[in-house]
Amino acid sequence: MFYKVLDGLKVIEYGNFISAPFCAKILADLGAEVIKIEEPCCGDDSRRQAPFLNDIPSLENSGLFQYLNMNKLGITLNPASATGTKIFSELLKSADVFLENNSPEKMKKLKLSYSPIKQINPRIIMTSITPFGQTGPYKNYESCELISAHMGGVGYISMREGDISKEPIKLPAHLFSFQAGLSAAVATLSSIFRQTTTGLGEQLDVSEQESVIQNLNSSIARYAYAGQIMARTDAAGHAPFHILPCKDGFVCAAFVEEAEWRRFVEVMGHPEWADNELFKDFASRAKYWDALKPLIIEWTMQYTEEEIYRRSQENTVPLGAVRTAHQVLQDKQMAARQFFVDINRKDTGKWTFPGVPYRFSEIQREKPVAAPLLGQHNEEIYCGRMGYTRGDLVRFKEAGVI
Amino acid sequence: MSTPSLKGIRVIAFTWVWAGPWMGGVLADMGAEVIKIETRQRLDSQRVVKITKNPEQGVNQGQFNVTNRGIKSITLNLKQPKGLEIIKKLVKISDVIITNFAPRALPGWGIGYDVLKEIKPDIILVTLPAFGSTGPDKDYLSYGSTLEAVGGLSSSFGYPGETPVISGPYPSDPIGSMYGLVGLLAALNYRNRTGKGQHVDIAQNEGVTSLIPEVIMEEVMNGRTRPRMGNRDEIMAPHSCYPCKGHDKWVAIAVDTDAKWHAFCRIMGDPEWSKDEKFSDQYHRWQNQDELNKLIGGWTKDFTHYQVMQQLQKVRVAAGPSFNIEELVNDPHVKNRSIFIEQNHPVAGKTIVYRSPWKSALTAKNPPAPCLGENNSYVFKELLGISDKEIAELIETKVIY
Repeated sequence: MFYKVLDGLKVIEYGNFISAPFCAKILADLGAEVIKIEEPCCGDDSRRQAPFLNDIPSLENSGLFQYLNMNKLGITLNPASATGTKIFSELLKSADVFLENNSPEKMKKLKLSYSPIKQINPRIIMTSITPFGQTGPYKNYESCELISAHMGGVGYISMREGDISKEPIKLPAHLFSFQAGLSAAVATLSSIFRQTTTGLGEQLDVSEQESVIQNLNSSIARYAYAGQIMARTDAAGHAPFHILPCKDGFVCAAFVEEAEWRRFVEVMGHPEWADNELFKDFASRAKYWDALKPLIIEWTMQYTEEEIYRRSQENTVPLGAVRTAHQVLQDKQMAARQFFVDINRKDTGKWTFPGVPYRFSEIQREKPVAAPLLGQHNEEIYCGRMGYTRGDLVRFKEAGVI
Repeated sequence: MSTPSLKGIRVIAFTWVWAGPWMGGVLADMGAEVIKIETRQRLDSQRVVKITKNPEQGVNQGQFNVTNRGIKSITLNLKQPKGLEIIKKLVKISDVIITNFAPRALPGWGIGYDVLKEIKPDIILVTLPAFGSTGPDKDYLSYGSTLEAVGGLSSSFGYPGETPVISGPYPSDPIGSMYGLVGLLAALNYRNRTGKGQHVDIAQNEGVTSLIPEVIMEEVMNGRTRPRMGNRDEIMAPHSCYPCKGHDKWVAIAVDTDAKWHAFCRIMGDPEWSKDEKFSDQYHRWQNQDELNKLIGGWTKDFTHYQVMQQLQKVRVAAGPSFNIEELVNDPHVKNRSIFIEQNHPVAGKTIVYRSPWKSALTAKNPPAPCLGENNSYVFKELLGISDKEIAELIETKVIY
């Protein structure tokens, strides 16, 4: 954990890949006890996802899996077996929260939908994260982050300076699956607050598509009020709102207020541009962007990212350096806040991971614990807590239960 | 039984633009009473942004009405001693204060955490500045796209082999909102258990970085910068957007197994090219994806994006349109789930908002975004017991302003 906030809260995660594991990670980081259930055959799919340490694929060396599952306990269980079903319901009986991101069809088949689970434990909070939610015509559709991003409407408006002969693209990595997990954690935390005060649980139905839609406030406002349909040509009306090259990389000059532009031309040593009729406002600068862009670039190319970033910010210009991961890892601001954390594992040594973006004034920050090896806590949970013997574990294994 | 989760929790909101207001909108869905403190001295820029049919309608425009729905608004000038006195009274009867103003704003008015804590010992203060409230760059300014640049997201965003670009939707704002809510709700749960309040500080740039661990871990584990990949996946191919019938219409398709690839080929009528060794397994398809994508595009272009989705979903291949906002609002599934809500705003007229991105039977029913100072009477008179005469004076002296 990072902060002991949800001390005593018991969470069962039957999640795969990103959305539910990330939601569970957030609760684990806040001190909840998360037991992650993985299929005995193969474990979570993210165990097979790059990046791998030294490019050597191994179930225990995926940077993505290690990040998503730190601070959790891990057991293997096949819920399709009769014994597996029995053990699963025992685990749920004493849990406060159940998190999952499987298809509604699969959960129904395993008798793990909310209605049977509510019978086992009426006070449980069950949070399900699926691409399209638990209801509606697409509820059983196949999907992945690419599809959610596009069906959630963000692809159509990305990228901003685009020409529409090129395909819409999505943001990097699996950003929107993470955002869905983050949203699910918010929903779950509010329900935990209610559970603590009233003893009541509920079902939370989180849709990754809807989580993507929360990024569309400008699109929906323009559509509702002005009948505009935003597309990838939207930047046409506003400048500068661009990523521009500089001596050693790129900077992001995206301004909203005219005063910011006026301060920026001062920083560039060209205060007279503020009075140039062609560059008088965002719309006009956009119109004459082909003339203005080379002028700005002539200046940016003389300096490094860091020089432009610092000089702009010192003059209250909201410009940013376009940082690579290498630069982010060296960032002095993040270092001052101790954002990155090291986790030691006996077999592989020290790894650096992104930490958490929140700091609590009343709670001491603690050291996070490495993600579980596949089935690492089987003995602790099955024997130590549930009363099975080591002999049972052998028989479970033979029967394909764990 | 169906009482919203945060019924009875009162939140004071010093918020503007997007990340802060969206926290308020979600809290309202959870049943909290959110009171936004505004002043005519400096309005939320989103109140006046010109997205409207009638610019003369004033200060209820554009995305302000999307993110601030369900909350209350009062006008109070904190630069006046009387204004400060009133806000302190409100703090005394509140549970949480949220702000996405610069870190110096609240202390500047004389209501930093130390002061707030004296007024109400178990108060929870949630600050959501761009780079956090501590550290050498704490006063740096940022919009969503700047955060994405500094947080390491932009450098990995763009078409393969091209330069980085600014994203269309700026997800760093709602990501900030959600992290703000994680901190807030965690602190509320902590207060429930211990009786203690606290200051929770969230750095939005750290939030962005924490959602792209693949990019960071590639550098940590292998010393490599993740390239810009457009729609590409690291393993799957095909995994892209393909042109469809109509102007600027596209369908996204992702295939993760050979069995699904064969199912996809059958739908396309098993064209000769699909049997080429170049596309014989995932590895080959990935290696030759540019050529593959062109060939698939040659098939998709004769169908609408909906037709491609329906044909492929029938054989369980992941596919769906790259929706524009109009298509999204009118899509049968989206309509069925009621994610968008039509509201009749007293000033702005027909408004479309979206609810929080989850369904809960406990979600509160809420009114449209407030007009400027709409709830002055409720807060000043009913909550704080200030007399009509005094209120008139406060308006006269521009304390309520």
